[in-house]
Amino acid sequence: MNEIDPRDDRRGLEDTAVLSELNRLVDELDPPPADLVDRVKFAIALESLDVEVARWERAGSFAGVRGGQTGTITFTVDNLTLMVNFTSTGSRHRIDGWLVPAGEHTVEVRVADHQSSCTRADDGGRFVLPDVPAGTTQILVHLVNSRGEPGRTVVTPTIML
Amino acid sequence: MDELHTADDRPPWDGLEGTERHAVCVAAAREGNRDALDVLVTELNPLLWHVARGQGLDRAAAEDVVQTVWLAFLKNIENINEPKALVGYLVVTTRREARRTWTPNKRETHLSDEFAEQLESNTGLPEDVTLMDDRDRRLWLAFGRLTTRCQELLRLTVLAGRAEYRAVAEALAMPHGSIGPTRGRCLNLLRNYLETEGGSR
Repeated sequence: MNEIDPRDDRRGLEDTAVLSELNRLVDELDPPPADLVDRVKFAIALESLDVEVARWERAGSFAGVRGGQTGTITFTVDNLTLMVNFTSTGSRHRIDGWLVPAGEHTVEVRVADHQSSCTRADDGGRFVLPDVPAGTTQILVHLVNSRGEPGRTVVTPTIML
Repeated sequence: MDELHTADDRPPWDGLEGTERHAVCVAAAREGNRDALDVLVTELNPLLWHVARGQGLDRAAAEDVVQTVWLAFLKNIENINEPKALVGYLVVTTRREARRTWTPNKRETHLSDEFAEQLESNTGLPEDVTLMDDRDRRLWLAFGRLTTRCQELLRLTVLAGRAEYRAVAEALAMPHGSIGPTRGRCLNLLRNYLETEGGSR
């Protein structure tokens, strides 16, 4: 199954043995999260494939919103910043967001196994979705230009809420 | 998935393997075939995961990097001209994405090769470490003491040794049957750590 550097001197054999063990251990001790494939499939199941990916800007530590906490996440792509605050309301969430630079862009929140929720940001770039179901969540921003014409779509990786 | 499928509606990648299979999936995905995309994600996601983890990212950050790479892949799917290059593209993109995510001690620096070389990484152990075989535990601890650069090289070495990821070796020009000086040095260090990892921990 594995063809790792089959050298036939003693050290080569030791190397081969260590690499074989390591090959097993990376899967046993550091496997991808069991649901990651499903989350990726959900994240890329988009109507349009022509999307820009906004990256999660972690402030210093890698601690983020995982598992139903309240918190603020910042995503950025090119010159767009998307700040989102999640407030848990039991099994659902209130989402307060802010887009910089501001614009009356359409914000879509996709939650796995639920219908999308949509709203439009006000002229200050703020938006509110008061009642969003919990689960694997992805935010899409359908940008409009100054004349209100549709432009690029920005998507985030999924977050677990 | 559906056992009632007849030969006629078998997907075009059915029965194919490796780069050939991926190339057919890329072509089908370009035509809008979602199943083809799902096949690529299912089969190549573990590779992306290990590449991201090999860059020293914690598990949460590695998850985001993997998702970002797949989303970026959608956008670029038209531009991947050489279908055999898919795995190489994904590995390179994952490394680049991981490095821009990596912010040591809150500094906005990207992880360079030189820095990764010196960095002692913390691989961590599963919580049920006591359940582990002693040899496994010692090897994983020794592995965790290697620099991030060495850990990544060795991870890629074992991944490239797997039949399903043979394209990794081609993409990164890691020939079979030879261990370059850097990998040799990493392996020597690993063996040294393994010997000293006996009763001290």
